[in-house]
Amino acid sequence: MDVNMMNPILTAFADILPQIGFQKIEKKGVSLMGTTLTNSGVLLNIALLGQLKGIIMIGMDLESAKRFASKMMMGMEVTELDGLAQSAISEMGNMVCANACTQFSKIGLGGLDISPPTLMIGDGVQATLPVPQIIDVKFCVDGIDIQVYIGLVS
Amino acid sequence: MSTVKVMVVDDSPFSRTIIAEALTGEGYEVVGEADCLDELMNTYNKLRPDIVTMDIAMPGADGFECSKALRLAYPDAKIILVSSMKDEETEAEARRIGVAGYVQKPVEGESLKTVITNILSPDSLFNQLKERGFETFKEALGQNITRMIKLPAEFEPDIVSDKEYLSQGITVVVGIIGRYSGSMILDMSAETAEKLAEAVLRRPPKNNDEVLAMAAELANIVGGIACSMMNKKDKSFGLRVSPPSLFHGTPAQVVCPNLKIEGVYAKTDLGRIFLGVGFKKGSILWM
Repeated sequence: MDVNMMNPILTAFADILPQIGFQKIEKKGVSLMGTTLTNSGVLLNIALLGQLKGIIMIGMDLESAKRFASKMMMGMEVTELDGLAQSAISEMGNMVCANACTQFSKIGLGGLDISPPTLMIGDGVQATLPVPQIIDVKFCVDGIDIQVYIGLVS
Repeated sequence: MSTVKVMVVDDSPFSRTIIAEALTGEGYEVVGEADCLDELMNTYNKLRPDIVTMDIAMPGADGFECSKALRLAYPDAKIILVSSMKDEETEAEARRIGVAGYVQKPVEGESLKTVITNILSPDSLFNQLKERGFETFKEALGQNITRMIKLPAEFEPDIVSDKEYLSQGITVVVGIIGRYSGSMILDMSAETAEKLAEAVLRRPPKNNDEVLAMAAELANIVGGIACSMMNKKDKSFGLRVSPPSLFHGTPAQVVCPNLKIEGVYAKTDLGRIFLGVGFKKGSILWM
């Protein structure tokens, strides 16, 4: 997998998050992993199709997800990850992936489309992506840890 | 029928006048105008127009950013992009944002009218997808189970839900992209998947990877066949499936926010297989 494929997604992340109320976006690390990842909490799944195809996933633990949704909803208290909070997190994923498509178009990979988001909520959920390797990017966003998993092939 | 209320967003007073005149000439009521994001949000909130026309190139937040912000706050907002630009990437970007229509500048009243009429009419193609889509996916699943294990599948009554679904153990999610986008979920217990894999391979699976690969392949085939069947009914659906994501390990809650999922359990001698399918309206009408 071409590691450069992650740059448009990182740009999208840094572009969108300030628009939805986040100030400090820190990239904590990048690593390559196999085809399967394990996540406890919330795992957001969006498929991408076109000149590139595959999956982008965004994972965070349940507490982080609640804090994230609360921040997106201008500080509204989120004690459980209800429909509104789930919808907020999905919308963030949708916006990041849509923006990533725009960033890809700037490097000649235009016309990409994305699927609606699906959330998987649970402890120790394993996800296997249809690619040889996954890029795992760790972010810390206003003190909230988020993992972005990129599994794309051309 | 009451008059359709339209709001015009453009940074150029000249363009706003031209668009407003074209709209008025076609019998629409121009209830408000805006030239930037803040004014757009305030005015939309006050007036709640039926349609918003949106320029793309504006200083500060451009038409795409304004559309995103508006759709985030008001998911039902119906936006028509009005721009001199019209290329593949502009169209793709508009589609991703969920813009409802697109009219090229210089604006003609007639083009605006056609797009507005279409946006506000019931979407017959989407209705066709709603009416026949799920049955088509069921048919594809039934056929493929029979083909794989040489045994019939019996369907339990359909379930329609916008709530979460609790996985039985192995969940495959396939994204659907085209004129409308959606998701397909195929879910079964680890035991059922193992028995299915054994039936397909005609030997016990060597490891869990073979079991998971079988589940992913079944979902891929069912999704692909169902989309092809729908495209044959009407090629303007243009449905395609994404590669499958596979979830396993501990059972998870599966949530598809803002998507109404139609679901059904297929009962087979090897266990129950859940099929869930949901589509989202987000068509774009181009002029």
